[in-house]
Amino acid sequence: MALVELEQVSKIYRLGDQEFRALDGVDLRIEEGEFVSIIGPSGSGKSTLMHLLGCLDAPSSGRMEICGSDLSNATQNRLAEVRNREIGFVFQAFNLLPKLDVIGNIELPLVYAGIPAAERRRRAEQVAREVGLGDRTANRPVQLSGGQCQRVAIGRALVNNPRILFGDEPTGNLDSSTGEHILKMFRDLNAAGKTIVLVTHDPDIAAVSRRVIEIRDGKITREYAP
Amino acid sequence: MNILVPLQIGLREISSHKFRSFLSMLGIVLGVSSLIATLALTTGIERGTREFMQQMGGLEYVSVVNKEISNAKFEFWNLSPGRTLRDAQVIRESAPLVSHISPELSLAVGISSGTHSDRGTVRGVTPDHFVVSRHELAAGRFLTDIDVERGLRSAVIGSDVASLLWPELPVDAIPGQILQLNNRPFEVVGVFPKYQREEDKRRQGSGKPVSRMGRRWDPFRSKNESILIPYSTMFYDFRAGAFPLDSLESARLDTLTLRIANLDNFRAALDQVRRALELTHRGVDDFDLETREEWFDRMESSIRATRLSGGLIATISLVVGGIGIMNIMLASISERVREIGIRLAVGARGRDIFVQIIVESISIALIGGLLGVLAAFGLLEILKAIAPGENVPVMTPGGIVFSVGFAVFAGFISGIYPALRASRLNPIAALRYE
Repeated sequence: MALVELEQVSKIYRLGDQEFRALDGVDLRIEEGEFVSIIGPSGSGKSTLMHLLGCLDAPSSGRMEICGSDLSNATQNRLAEVRNREIGFVFQAFNLLPKLDVIGNIELPLVYAGIPAAERRRRAEQVAREVGLGDRTANRPVQLSGGQCQRVAIGRALVNNPRILFGDEPTGNLDSSTGEHILKMFRDLNAAGKTIVLVTHDPDIAAVSRRVIEIRDGKITREYAP
Repeated sequence: MNILVPLQIGLREISSHKFRSFLSMLGIVLGVSSLIATLALTTGIERGTREFMQQMGGLEYVSVVNKEISNAKFEFWNLSPGRTLRDAQVIRESAPLVSHISPELSLAVGISSGTHSDRGTVRGVTPDHFVVSRHELAAGRFLTDIDVERGLRSAVIGSDVASLLWPELPVDAIPGQILQLNNRPFEVVGVFPKYQREEDKRRQGSGKPVSRMGRRWDPFRSKNESILIPYSTMFYDFRAGAFPLDSLESARLDTLTLRIANLDNFRAALDQVRRALELTHRGVDDFDLETREEWFDRMESSIRATRLSGGLIATISLVVGGIGIMNIMLASISERVREIGIRLAVGARGRDIFVQIIVESISIALIGGLLGVLAAFGLLEILKAIAPGENVPVMTPGGIVFSVGFAVFAGFISGIYPALRASRLNPIAALRYE
């Protein structure tokens, strides 16, 4: 079943009377269980594409279906709901809340899903163990290394058991061996059946996936399997 | 989303910027404390006034007073017999809306118990006096019709007189004692309790000194110093022969007071009294009816004015406090754009962010309000120390709840704009914000 289906999707930004087509008539289909990389230089539109796929934004035109629901003209609240239930995000800059400990950060999506506190805690603790942070649950992000922070972020992305996991340059702020480790986590997750979409500018990183989509000037220019 | 979550987030935010939060609360603290203090002051004045009124006979109390005759009727002045016992009898017969009427003669006399003596004012009254002046009894009985009919030498005394003359006797032992008034023996038949303000009772209980009213006339003290004997006894023992032509019924009264049966018929009752007195005074307008209405109205309007001006000051400081909170909340959200972006990215809706900011803003106001309650206690202690008046401020639970509620409302209002701004942030822009 297709988790992502884009048909002629465009995203247009207007600055005064200037028009900028960040995405221009993109068609894309991603099936459940795939491991896809989106690569392209900065300004190519790959971030815009990921924002659309991640339901952080709605397209200007075209049809967009994510996890079976048509979000072409979705409201902000509807997008928030899909983000909360179906999508997990891992960012380059980790984007953890500095005032919360590991558990507090991991359970954040559950807070907005309306899960009771005890259940949140139980699930967050379980996920913390799964990402290898079972012994650091009470630490704050500043007390963790970059790799550990990214594992907290992966835990946060996984806690709601989403159908798609997005990584936006997830290794960009990490040294190469830690980056390797994080990429291995993504591969393992995919092997366990999770659909994964990585956005990167680095072809070496894209090579860990099974399908690479190259984007340039808002258009998909090439697709290949590494 | 559970309301506890934004509350928890808000409290954490407040406690992680303690000084800043305190500064933003300051306006609310001042506003709430001055609002509570104003309410307490006016409640104190109101309560003091009401006690005072009650002691003086309440609104039902009407006093018949002498008045200068108008020029038109000046030459008939000697037609009027003035205020006499006859007035009281006629009013009793022809003014059914008047429930009690109390004619009074008074005289300064020497008083003595044999061991202690002093000077005092003795007053000849009828049994109605007990009701008109709102007396109670601590021991014994009040004067009866029999005392008046037979001209018995019975006396009822106030607590100050009792403790002056028989300082060692308990109040129960005072009825039956012999009291000398200008060397004539009277039997004390009853004693009044000690009349005092609620506040003075409390102070006495806690051993603090009882406030003195200074030179002002004090209904509490004058009741405590009263010596009451039957009207007829007063006339025959002390007044007869002073003016050879006087009889019991034509002696000029020193005081004539009455009590209206029902306040609903207040005007009609006054008209009845006026008509009766016009008859007995043969049309000469040498009397007037003094009521408490005007006095009470004046009191009420001055209380209202105090409340209004104090309330206005408090409201202004609450508004200023609200602006302070808004300012802090705006600063706080622009510093937390990224946090809000992260929350949005993991699935928070605009509504969730809105609630979070509003709850935070209300929490600041609520904490400020509660600090304001504490500050109000201090403020009132200072006020009491600076100006120990007779009307002690009274803090009521209602006033506290109202003031804190007002502060919470101010917090809510001032949170709306920052909360709207925060909830409308674009998640992508917020995530990129540095």
